[in-house]
Order: sequence, then C-alpha cells, then structure tokens
Amino acid sequence: MNTESDVVIIGAGPSGAVAALELLRAGMSVTVLEQGDWVPADHFDGARPEWELTQLKRWHPNPNVRGRPEDYPIDTAASDVNPLMFAGVGGAALIYGAHWMRFMPSDFRVRTLDGVARDWPFAYEDLAPFYGYVEEAMGVSGLSGNPAYPDGAPCPLPALPMGKVGRKAAEGMNRLGWHWWPGSNAIPSRAYRGLQPCVLRGTCGTGCSDGAKATPDRTHWPEAQKLGVNLRTGARAAEIETDAKGRARAVVWIDRRGARHRARGSVVILCANGVGTPRLLLMSGLGNRSGLVGRRLMMHPYAGVMGTFEDDLESWVGPAGQILTSMQFYETDRSRGFLRGAKWNCMPAGGPQSFRAGYTGGTLTGGWGATLHDRVARKFGRSFEWGIIGEDLPDESNRVDLSDALVDGDGLPAPRITYAISDNTRKMLAFHTARAVEAMEAAGAIETEVTPLIRDCGWHLMGTAVMGDDPETSVVNAVGAVHDVPGLYVMDASTFPTSSGMNPTATIMAVAARSVLDLIERRAEVDAA
Amino acid sequence: MSLSGTERKRLGALARVMIPGGAGQPGAAALGLEGAPVDDVLRIDPTRAGPLRRFLALEGPIDTLAGIEALAQHEPDGFEAVSVVLANAYFMHPETRAAIGYPGQEARDASVGLGEADLALVDVVAGRGPVFRRV
Repeated sequence: MNTESDVVIIGAGPSGAVAALELLRAGMSVTVLEQGDWVPADHFDGARPEWELTQLKRWHPNPNVRGRPEDYPIDTAASDVNPLMFAGVGGAALIYGAHWMRFMPSDFRVRTLDGVARDWPFAYEDLAPFYGYVEEAMGVSGLSGNPAYPDGAPCPLPALPMGKVGRKAAEGMNRLGWHWWPGSNAIPSRAYRGLQPCVLRGTCGTGCSDGAKATPDRTHWPEAQKLGVNLRTGARAAEIETDAKGRARAVVWIDRRGARHRARGSVVILCANGVGTPRLLLMSGLGNRSGLVGRRLMMHPYAGVMGTFEDDLESWVGPAGQILTSMQFYETDRSRGFLRGAKWNCMPAGGPQSFRAGYTGGTLTGGWGATLHDRVARKFGRSFEWGIIGEDLPDESNRVDLSDALVDGDGLPAPRITYAISDNTRKMLAFHTARAVEAMEAAGAIETEVTPLIRDCGWHLMGTAVMGDDPETSVVNAVGAVHDVPGLYVMDASTFPTSSGMNPTATIMAVAARSVLDLIERRAEVDAA
Repeated sequence: MSLSGTERKRLGALARVMIPGGAGQPGAAALGLEGAPVDDVLRIDPTRAGPLRRFLALEGPIDTLAGIEALAQHEPDGFEAVSVVLANAYFMHPETRAAIGYPGQEARDASVGLGEADLALVDVVAGRGPVFRRV
C-alpha cells in the first residue's frame, strides 16, 4: 500500500505529536508511522493489586525486558546504562514519571560558561515562549516563582500536594538553607481539557490508569485525529528514501504481518527518539557527512539516596512524579572536581515489592526470612528518595550504531549502544549522593542507603543527531533540518547539543514546536520533493 | 498453567523459609501462599512459570536460607522467578496488606494542593532569593 501526504512523521511520541498537530492546524496532510499501538487507560494496572508485578515485565521501560513484537531489541553489551523507551501512541511518555522541567539558562551556554561541549544555537529566552506554549497543552502543575529560574518557570495549574514526604524533605532542606521547590509535573491537579485530575495513585511509571497524566495520546492525538491525521499503528519504519535530487521523498514501513508499504511525502520528520532516529538514518545511509549520526549519545546516569524515618510518611502515595526538586548544586563549581551539576527530585518509595530479595545486594537470599519482615516493619511507608540526574556531557565515543548480529522481528539491524560513564560523571554523582545523604540526615533520617548508579536509567536519549550551523560538525541545523538532505528533519532529542541535568520532555516538546512552526512559516522555501 | 502437586509442595517449603512471618506480618504457611495466591501471580505473568519450575526441579536441602542460597547461586534466573512469584503473591494478599498498613495505590484528592504549612516552608526558600546562574 502506498500513501501520499504532505508530511510523513516517524514516531507518535511527544515530539511527533507536537509536529503533527501544528502541521495539521496549518492545513497540511500528515501521515504518522508508529510501531506501537494505542494503549487505553484501562490497560494499565495502577488501580489493580498486581501493578508491581506487571511493571517487572509488561510495563518495564527496557524493551529488552518487555520483548513485545513492537519493540526492537537493543544490543547493550557495551553500555554501562540501558536505554529505556516505549513504543506506542504517546511514546515513552506513556510510562514516564511526568517530571516537567525546563532546562536552565546555563544549559544553552555550556561551552561559553564552562569551556566544554557546545553552546546551543539559541538561548533559554528564545525557547521560553515555546515552553509556555507546550505547558498549556500538557496541563503542567506546579508553583510559579521558582527562584531557580529567571522567569520563575510559571505553570498553568496549581501544584500537586507535597504530602508527608514532601514536608519532611523540605524541612531538611530548609535546615541546610538549600534550594528546593514543589515539583512541577505534567499531571493536572484538576480536570484540564481532556485530562482527568490526578488522584495521587503513585503509579505514573507504569502508565496512568486514571487518564490523568499528560501524555500525547490524550493531549494531542485526539485533536490531530479530528483534523484528519493518517496515524498508522503497528508501522515500523525501515528506510527513508530520497528522489533523484537527493531530497527526502518517502518512508518504507513494515506492518505486523511483514508486508512492506511506502508512505510518500515531500517532507519527512524523524521523531523516533535518540536511539531510533540515528538507527533509521544509518539504515538509510542519510545525513552523515559529519560522521556524527549516532555519536554523542547522552543518557543521564542516575543515582539515588533513600532515607528511612521513624514517622509514618505514607510513602506509597503519589505523585510518582517529583514531589520536590532541588537545583542547589546544579551549576558548575570547579572546587568540587567536576564540571556542571545535577538536579534532584524527591520521590515516594512506592509499594512493598522493593523489599524482596534481589533488590538488596549481597547474597541472593539476604533479603528473605526474618530480614524481610524486619525491613518491611522498619521501612515500608517510612522511606523516600532523593533521585539525582547528572548532566551527561557529550562524548563522541558514546554512540548508537547498527548491530552486525542482532536484528528485530522484521530482520532489520538492531541498534547497538556503546556507552561508558565518564570520570566527570562519577565524581559528580559521588558528590551529589554525599550531599543527598546530608539532606536526608537533616530531615531526620535514621538510616540512608546510597545507590551510586542505576543501570536501568537511560530514559533520556539525546544528542545523536546534533544541531549546529556547520554541516561538517553537526547533523541538523537549528530548526532540525538535516544539512545534507532537503525535506528531511529531526525534531526529537537527538538534536540536543548538551543534555542539561533536567528531565527533557519539556524541552523536547518546546524544541519540536519551535522547529515545526519555523517549517510551517518557511514551507515555501523548503526544497521539497 | 498449573503447578503439579510435587512442585507446589516444594514451593510451599521454600515459602515457609523465605517468608516465615514475624514483626506482626503473617507467614507464608498461614496464607497458603503456594496455592491460589501463587496461581494468581502465574496467571497474570505466565512468563515466570518456566524458570520457576526449573528451580523447583533442583535437588538439595531447602530447609534453611543457606541451603536455598546454594541452589540460587546455581540457578539465579530460577531463583529470581521464585522471588518474584512469592513476593507478589505475598504482598498482593489482603492479609499482608492489612498487617503492614498498606491500602494499595488508592485514589486521593490532589486538588487540595499545597497547604498553609507547605507554603510557609516555600516562603523560606523564596526569601533566600534567586539561585540561577547569570548568563
């Protein structure tokens, strides 16, 4: 089957949703290829007793663990961190924590300020209107006036409750005089457009069973459908084709039965995430004059400090997004022995499954027997975490390329990840976990546990088709146009020159909005097929 | 799938050592964990059955954690399945939840937002002024 539309978009996650909706509003015809399916809210298990069981397999963020037909396998043998993602209408947002953070102004000027990595080709102030635009669409809840931002990072909806956990953490931070702020989350605190109000169920990371969490299947795709989007699910993109002049012309895709199809369009936009996008470019042999396609992969190594308290904190209560954040140690202080910094997020401890053996380290049975009952009695409901997202500086040796042995269900080469945590990152996480222990102790923790690095933490996939002005040193320009291929765009986090230490969805959507609105404005100038 | 009588008996023996009860929490024996609770878990996640059965087929003493540890080192994937199945059967059980004061992931009203005590804490932070780096 062949289709013809003005634009073909690969991926129905946050960036694809933003791009598609704006193009449709501008009167253009759009085909979207999504390898996953729609996931209705009642498919998620948050309100059922087995929610912690199914998060270990069906809703696990690692596609290698899920092993569904719509997932492609990833060769991670040479990686310190597992990349995480989800194929479906809404993308990985379906199972994200909905932490909503704007990047900081300094994040766009890393080379200028700290002498490493690159500056972005635009500044925070340039992106701020687009942040506001997508925050309205996503119904972000939070408290405006955050002194960590020059404009206070305004939010359209009031903040979610801090709960007992948040108050305990805040008291500790205030004793130390350290920055914190009520968490900003893409989870509406009251009914908002097509979203239900949050019910604090605390299962955001396994999908919202209450239709509250802001995900593109609820915030963007319904309007896109009304405007006539041709959204194909179960559609795995295999190759981007060009015409005789080298312009993007079509995407070959494969359905679940293995049949091949061709979606033609004069513009093709990649929104397949920081692993899927370079994989497709490499499979298609496109856009790699700079040799940087797939390189500079950044995944945000993550550490955590758990504190246990005497008080009952009801620490299974949500949101499982961030209750508080802290930017106290976000900026570079060279006396610490590393560059850049990290953002902290205070999160509830969740249900009781974390007390089973296997999560405790040491022997395989060490958490069982009397130890199990003792730990549950002392800790369950009385613990919370300061999670630490460290800025991951780009390194060209950290990369996505194509496996020469592993293939997906359609015989396409799987992505292969080569990724090593840097010395800068190790020093950064060591410093931050030490400070987080102090924060826990200041809050009254009677026990702390440090997790120096979590292997399943690669939620944030960035940098593998870097933006810049020079075609010799970048893959796309400042609005996502691939330098060497007219009509081909990248509008996901692959384009990010640096990673910041923030959860990236806000910036992914804001940059996508900036890019696609520029494309619409300049469409007459595009050398399209 | 359904466990055989022999498998169920072996799993029950493991459960009694791994979850003996204490600190106000019920033991596996009192809950009959190797029966319907385990069946529920395997119905929801049948992928655990294979490695679980491999572990149950191992010979060796399982009347102490040390004995189980030796088998677990020999068959870690099987022991992971045992752990997942027993832990979920145990913590999904209403009697366990009641004992540890866990109502499950219940729905609450988020619209209450920040209270006066919360905002008093926030005021302290706001009063300290900006913390961002000038660029």
